[in-house]
Amino acid sequence: MQISFQHVSYIYNEGTPYEYQALNDVNLDIQEGKITAIIGQTGSGKSTLVQHLNALLLPKTGEIHILDRVIKASENPKQLKALRGDVGLVFQFPEYQLFEETVLKDVAFGPKNFNVSEKDAIKRAKEALQMVGIKEDSYEKSPLELSGGQKRRVAIAGILAMDPKVLVLDEPTAGLDPVGTKEMMQLFKKLNSDYNKTILIVTHDMEQVFKYCDNVVVMQDGSVKVHTSVDEFFRDAESCEELNILPPAVIRMKKMLNENGFHIEGEIKDITALAKAIAKEVKHG
Amino acid sequence: MGNITLGRYIPMDSPIHRMDPRAKIIAMLFVLIAIFFRAGWIGYGVIFVAVSIVIILAKLKPSFIWRAMKPMLFMLTFLLIINALVIKTGNVLFTIGSFSLYSDAVLSTLYIAVRLLLMIMITTCLTATTKPLDMTLGIEDLLKPFTKIKVPAHEIAMLISIALRFIPDLIEETQRIMKAQESRGVDLKEGKLKEKIMAILSLIVPLFVSAFQRAEDLANAMEARGYAPGEKRTRYRILKMHGRDYLLMFGALCILIGMIGIAKFL
Amino acid sequence: MEKNAIEVKNLCFEYEEGGKHIDDVSFCVKEGSYTTVIGHNGSGKSTIAKLIAGLLEKKSGEIYVDGIELNLDNLVKIRNVLGIVFQNPDNQFIGSTVEDDIAFGLENHCVKQEEMEGIILTHAEKVNMMKYLHHEPTHLSGGQKQRVAIAGILAMKPRIIIFDEATSMLDPQGKDEIKRVIRELHEKSNITILSITHDIEEVAMSDEVIVLNQGKLALQGEPHEVFYNEEALNAIKLDIPFSIKLKKALDKEGVSINNHITMEGMVKDLCKSHSNM
Repeated sequence: MQISFQHVSYIYNEGTPYEYQALNDVNLDIQEGKITAIIGQTGSGKSTLVQHLNALLLPKTGEIHILDRVIKASENPKQLKALRGDVGLVFQFPEYQLFEETVLKDVAFGPKNFNVSEKDAIKRAKEALQMVGIKEDSYEKSPLELSGGQKRRVAIAGILAMDPKVLVLDEPTAGLDPVGTKEMMQLFKKLNSDYNKTILIVTHDMEQVFKYCDNVVVMQDGSVKVHTSVDEFFRDAESCEELNILPPAVIRMKKMLNENGFHIEGEIKDITALAKAIAKEVKHG
Repeated sequence: MGNITLGRYIPMDSPIHRMDPRAKIIAMLFVLIAIFFRAGWIGYGVIFVAVSIVIILAKLKPSFIWRAMKPMLFMLTFLLIINALVIKTGNVLFTIGSFSLYSDAVLSTLYIAVRLLLMIMITTCLTATTKPLDMTLGIEDLLKPFTKIKVPAHEIAMLISIALRFIPDLIEETQRIMKAQESRGVDLKEGKLKEKIMAILSLIVPLFVSAFQRAEDLANAMEARGYAPGEKRTRYRILKMHGRDYLLMFGALCILIGMIGIAKFL
Repeated sequence: MEKNAIEVKNLCFEYEEGGKHIDDVSFCVKEGSYTTVIGHNGSGKSTIAKLIAGLLEKKSGEIYVDGIELNLDNLVKIRNVLGIVFQNPDNQFIGSTVEDDIAFGLENHCVKQEEMEGIILTHAEKVNMMKYLHHEPTHLSGGQKQRVAIAGILAMKPRIIIFDEATSMLDPQGKDEIKRVIRELHEKSNITILSITHDIEEVAMSDEVIVLNQGKLALQGEPHEVFYNEEALNAIKLDIPFSIKLKKALDKEGVSINNHITMEGMVKDLCKSHSNM
């Protein structure tokens, strides 16, 4: 039950002067049950790629296999509505999709669209709100009254309430402060480990990729440039720099030290490991 | 959105593109008024030829005009049916059962069709060759004499130019919210009435929220950069009339006077 | 004696809904300095920026900008010396093209038409946007739009520029572009910069940092002073630069090293102790 892209291409505004090929023969297998980061510069096709996952966009050529379904150009979009419930897509700045009178109603809106009964939808909404850490006293508030970070949680709960097996997030931490970002990423980690959701995150933040993700897909000019595990990807700074990506601070520090006479080898996962490696060299020469 | 041609600017370099927007607006008004005088087929022929020359000079393709006209065809067909049922003068062209089609019904529809075609040709000559920005400046300058009778010429121009500036942003925003709600199972095309209402609400409410946010940000940015409505300000872009601009307006005026003449005396 | 570009005394502010507020905040920003303001979302950072720019009305307290007291009568005078770059690149792009947007402020200041073109060119050059003068905003990246906003403000010859989270909506490339422009401004001109930011590495580059927490002034000082005040920082759960985190980790491993707020300084120091052994 993997997610797999096979020779997928997509062109915007085909046949007009504004024609633009956003995806070019993308072949990609995404591991189930993992957190996969999708990175790449603005305009590299990241957002276009993820919008294929719930059939918001249909490929011009090629096909996508996801949760025992096939998405291809000739597919009738109606058949794909059910897919939207199984693959939850959270857009960038999702707080702008809130519209209901109360937080609870807004979160229940998604499941109701998939013919879940009113009672069950409310139940699911409450569960989803609990998952994202919104307290009960906010349930009857208007979503517009909440702070920016809370709004975003509510919006994500709105997708979680549909109980998707795959959760796709387009820059979920954009505009949040460092504490908000950390809490958000911890939430995704929990959804992955405790609720066994397959998670895809489009992001620009390498610290997040390094710290929270399992695999990484690098997009460049509409194609998959690199697809590997995070550990492999950040083993040394050079491979990142070749792709014009600023490596995480730990990796940059390691590189700078090695350029200045240190010999730190092997995998350095975090700041503690780095400090240990430095201490070893400083003490024993 | 790529298919809408009516009112769209076509970036190109032509003598008409280079003309002063004020001259173009005034000329357009003259000729538009001229159409409303019943100057018969000769009159319309003259206008058609004159406007065609401008279209050729502006390097616009006839297909572009035709595409702008297309949405009107439905309306014209509808009009023809009404006219056929209502107008019962002139010669009978043919009869099917109890229904007869009279020549005046066809003629009157044709009249309207020709006028509509001419109107679209004329307005397209202006909008396709004039940048929205220049259009705004032209409107502002033309309204200036009316500031004496409290017409806020500058504010109107600022309003239009900001609206034009934000239309692409709002279209993008709309598409994004649509996709976001579709991801929550909203079906904007199908469904029962109640579902449809919810679908539309789920689009409209976020759009309003974000439009208000935008308006507030924009107001702050404008204020912080020293904008105060009603205050005196200078202008970066100054329009300048040349010989050809006067020629265009004079030509248009001649057409107007000619049509009045034909309508009165022939 | 050093002059203060901005002085805020006992400033208080409440939103009508009674939501966020500023509670008795006082601080000074030195003339010509690069000062950053940090704090969580909702700490009142942006509110303070808007109060100083006269876009919100204070409840009580005093604000002096370039020695002029901020009040309704002096608002125009203050707008002449103070510019502000906002967070959202789209919503502050007013003109239909790059050159028109830079011209917008000049038009408001009644600069003569003949002089405008020269001023526009000079400032487009400063932010490296010469190639894009006739471009419409839809065809520009976020970083480019923010650079245009900066050019538009520089053209009005301000003495103080506030950056209100000007990089927070940009991609890494855009963030770098804007931070470079800010740094250049600080080095090459005498303009006072007040930057409201979440970017801890940017804070490390600044002369002075102001920390806000729940509408109150929590700390103020040079970045290293503030970042070493561990107790205070822990209390408000604020992020700290990487080099300080590493120093703490090294302390635990028994390697003591001087305080550094940049990675480069730390590497040098570490290499010294490495070769001394």
